[in-house]
Amino acid sequence: MEPEKFKEIFNRMAGEIRKVIVGHEDVIRNVLIAFFAGGHALLEGVPGLGKTLLVKSLSRALGMSFKRIQFTPDLMPSDIVGTQVLAENNGQREFQFKQGPIFAHIVLADEINRATPKTQSAVLEAMEEKQVTVFGESYALQSPFMVLATQNPIELEGTYPLPEAQLDRFFFKLLVAPPSPAELKEILKRTTGTESGEVLKVLPSDADKLIGEIKQLLRQVLIAPPIEDYVARLVYATQPSASNGGAATSTVKQYLRFGSSPRGAQSVILGAKGHALTEGRVHVSYEDVEKVLYAALRHRIILNFQAEADNVSADQILSEVIKQTPRT
Amino acid sequence: MEALPPRSSRGMPEKLVSQLAVRLRHHALWDSLLLIFPPLLLIIDLVFLFYRAAWFTETIPLTVVPVAAAMGGLAALIRYRPLVPSVQSTARLIDQSAQAKDRFLTLVTIEPTGQNASLVSRLSLEAAGFRDHIKPKRDFPYRIKHSFYWSLTVSSIIALLFHLLLPIAPLMSHPLSGRERLGELADTMAQRPGLGEVARTLRTLALKLDDPRLSELEKQRLIEETQKNIDTKQKQEEQKGDSELLSQASGTLKDLQPQSGSGQNQKNEKAQGGGDIQSNLPQDKPGKNQPNQGSGGDHKGERNAKINKDMQQGKGAEGDPKDQRSEKSPQKKESGKGNEPQKNESDRDRSHESMAKTQGGKDEKAGRSKPSEEIPQGSPPAERLYQPGERGKQGIKGARYVTVQLPEETAMDSKGEKTGALEAQGRKGGVKIPMSNAPLPAHTPDAPTEKQRMPLEYRGVLR
Repeated sequence: MEPEKFKEIFNRMAGEIRKVIVGHEDVIRNVLIAFFAGGHALLEGVPGLGKTLLVKSLSRALGMSFKRIQFTPDLMPSDIVGTQVLAENNGQREFQFKQGPIFAHIVLADEINRATPKTQSAVLEAMEEKQVTVFGESYALQSPFMVLATQNPIELEGTYPLPEAQLDRFFFKLLVAPPSPAELKEILKRTTGTESGEVLKVLPSDADKLIGEIKQLLRQVLIAPPIEDYVARLVYATQPSASNGGAATSTVKQYLRFGSSPRGAQSVILGAKGHALTEGRVHVSYEDVEKVLYAALRHRIILNFQAEADNVSADQILSEVIKQTPRT
Repeated sequence: MEALPPRSSRGMPEKLVSQLAVRLRHHALWDSLLLIFPPLLLIIDLVFLFYRAAWFTETIPLTVVPVAAAMGGLAALIRYRPLVPSVQSTARLIDQSAQAKDRFLTLVTIEPTGQNASLVSRLSLEAAGFRDHIKPKRDFPYRIKHSFYWSLTVSSIIALLFHLLLPIAPLMSHPLSGRERLGELADTMAQRPGLGEVARTLRTLALKLDDPRLSELEKQRLIEETQKNIDTKQKQEEQKGDSELLSQASGTLKDLQPQSGSGQNQKNEKAQGGGDIQSNLPQDKPGKNQPNQGSGGDHKGERNAKINKDMQQGKGAEGDPKDQRSEKSPQKKESGKGNEPQKNESDRDRSHESMAKTQGGKDEKAGRSKPSEEIPQGSPPAERLYQPGERGKQGIKGARYVTVQLPEETAMDSKGEKTGALEAQGRKGGVKIPMSNAPLPAHTPDAPTEKQRMPLEYRGVLR
C-alpha cells in the first residue's frame, strides 16, 4: 500500500467520525492509530463526553462488527467470552459453545473498572492472544480485533481499578477532555436540532485485506537508529530503581513506583510510525515520538502515594522525562 | 521488497550531508587552531623576549620554539577531535535548518538492508526536495568563536605585561652587586660571537675591582676606560640583542662608578665594627661633594673624612663650589662629631652646643625650605627599605636624620660620662625628659642635644 492511500483512508475515516464527534482530534487520531497498529485503547473521561459514541462511530466507519459490554460488578467472565450450553441436535444432546460479546471486531468495554478482577482478567487473554478458552477449548477471535475500554475517573466507590498487567495490554490510554465552549456549541447544534450526522462506511468490502496492508505499511515506516535509541532512553528514564545507572530523574525517583515495560517502548515506536503516516511521512521523527509518548506510557508508569498526595499526574512526570532526556 | 543501492552510491541528500560534514570539520579545525594560535605566539614571543634580554641563551629559543609548535599542534589536535561533527549530527543540523523533520538523519543512519526500498526511495526524494533550502556556504558560514577572542585577549594581556615588566625585572630579580653583575654579563657576552673581547675586558675589570692592592683612583680610571670602550663598541654594534647586552654592561659600570669608592669603604667600615646603620649615598653624581651627615658609631668622623677624601679625589673635586660652600658647615660639624670620643668632655660639650645650634638653625631651615635637596650620604641602605620611586641614581630625597633627645641617664650611660660633669658645665636644662623622636623646631628652647641616625624603617613615624 502506498502511504498516500493510507492517508486518504485515514482522513476519510476521521472525517466520518467527526460527523458525530465534535473536537477530540487527538483522541480520534490516536484511536485510529491504535486500531491500525493492532492495539487496544483505554478511554478515560467523565460521563457524557462521547466516549461510547466515538467507539460506535469508529465501528460504523470501519463497517465492522461491533459489540458493547457494560461492565458491572455482577458481570461474569462467561458473560464476556461465552459459555457451553446443552443443545439438542438430531435427538442428541451435546454441549455447544455460545460466543460471548467478545467475538466482534470492535468491542466496547464500557466502564471496565466496575467489573470484578475475575471478569476483567477474562478480557486479558482475549486482548493479548486474540483468542478465548472455554472449558479447555480455544476459540480464535475475529480479525481485526480491538477492545476499546472506557473508565470513569470519578465515582470510584465499588470499582475495581485495573491491575497493572491488564493496563499494560492497552496500546494507548487516551484522556477524553471536556469540550471547549465552541465545541460545546457545535455539539448542541448537532444534537438538539432535527438533523443528525450519519457515519458512513469507509472501508470497502474486503476491509480485512486492506487493514492487513495498512498494518504492514505501518510497520515498514522507517525509523532512524538514533530515534530508536531516543525511545529506549525515554522508556529507560521512567525506571525509578537505583540500578538503572542514574538515568531516572529526581522526579521519577520521587513519584514513581514502577516504570514502563518494554511493551511501552513498542507502543511508542508503533504509535510514532502511525503518527508519521497520518502526516504523510514514511519515516519517524523525534516529534512523532514525543507526541505519542504520553498516550503510550501514561498508564504504564505506576505512581506512588507521594505522587497522589502531591497531585502529580503521569503526564507531568512524562513531560519531565522528555525534558531531561536529550535527543542525542 | 526492492534491493537498495549501497549507501555510498546514493543520491544528493547523502552528498549534501557529506559536504557539510567536511565543511564543519574545517570549521572545527579552524576553531582549534585559532584557540591555540595566540598562546603559541605568546610563548614564542616570550622566548625571544627573554633571549633578547639575555636571560636565555641561543639554544633555548632553538629548542623551545619547535617544542612549543609541536605541543600547540598536539593541543589543537586534542581540541579538534571532539569538535569534529559526526554524520549524524551534521544530518540533524541540516534537518533543523531546512525543517526537514529528521529526513536527512533517517537517510544517513538507517541500514539499507531490511528496509522497504520504495519507502527509502521516497524518503530520499523528499530529502532531495529540501536540497534547495540548504546552501552550506550561506547557512553554515564560518564564524570565529568566542573562545578565540578570549584566547587572543588573555595572550595579548600576558604578552603586554611581560613586555612592560621585563625591563624592570632584572632590578627585582638580580640583587647582585655591580661586580657580580659584571661577571654575569661577561659570561653572557662570552657566548655571543663578536663580544668575546668585551667579555674578557669585563671579567678582568671585575677581578681588578676586587683587588685590594689597587687604589680607588685606579679602579675608577679602569671603570671609565672600560665604559668608554663599551660605549664605542655599542655604537658600532648593530645587532639588537648584543646592543642591549652592551647597554646593560654600560649601565652596570655607571652604577659601579660611585660604588667603587664607597663600597670599598663600606667593607672596611664593617670590618672595623663601624655599626650597622646605613646611610644613603647618592649614586647619580659620582664624586660629587655632598654633605655627609654622619654615619653613626664611634668612627664616624674618620670614615666620613675618608669617604670625602676619596670622593674629592675623583670627580667630586670638580663639584659645584656653591654646593661645597653651602654644605661646608654641617660637614665640618659632622667631622667634629665623629672625632668626639677622642676629645675631652669640654670639647664634647662644645660640640653638643654647636651641633644643637646648627641643628636648630641653618640645617633646620634648609631642611624645611628645600627638603628634596637633602640627599643623605653614606652607604646605600638595604633594598627592602626602598619605597617605590626611590630606586636608581637619585638617592632618597628628603630622607633625613632624626635628632633624638635621650634621657639623661641613657645619654650618660651611652657616653660613659657622669652627670656631675654636665652639672659642672652649668647647663640650664638639667635632666631632660624625652619629648619626641622627631626633630624639634629651631626656636624650641629644649632643642635636643643628641643627633643620632634613625634607621629607615622608622621614617614613617617622623612628623
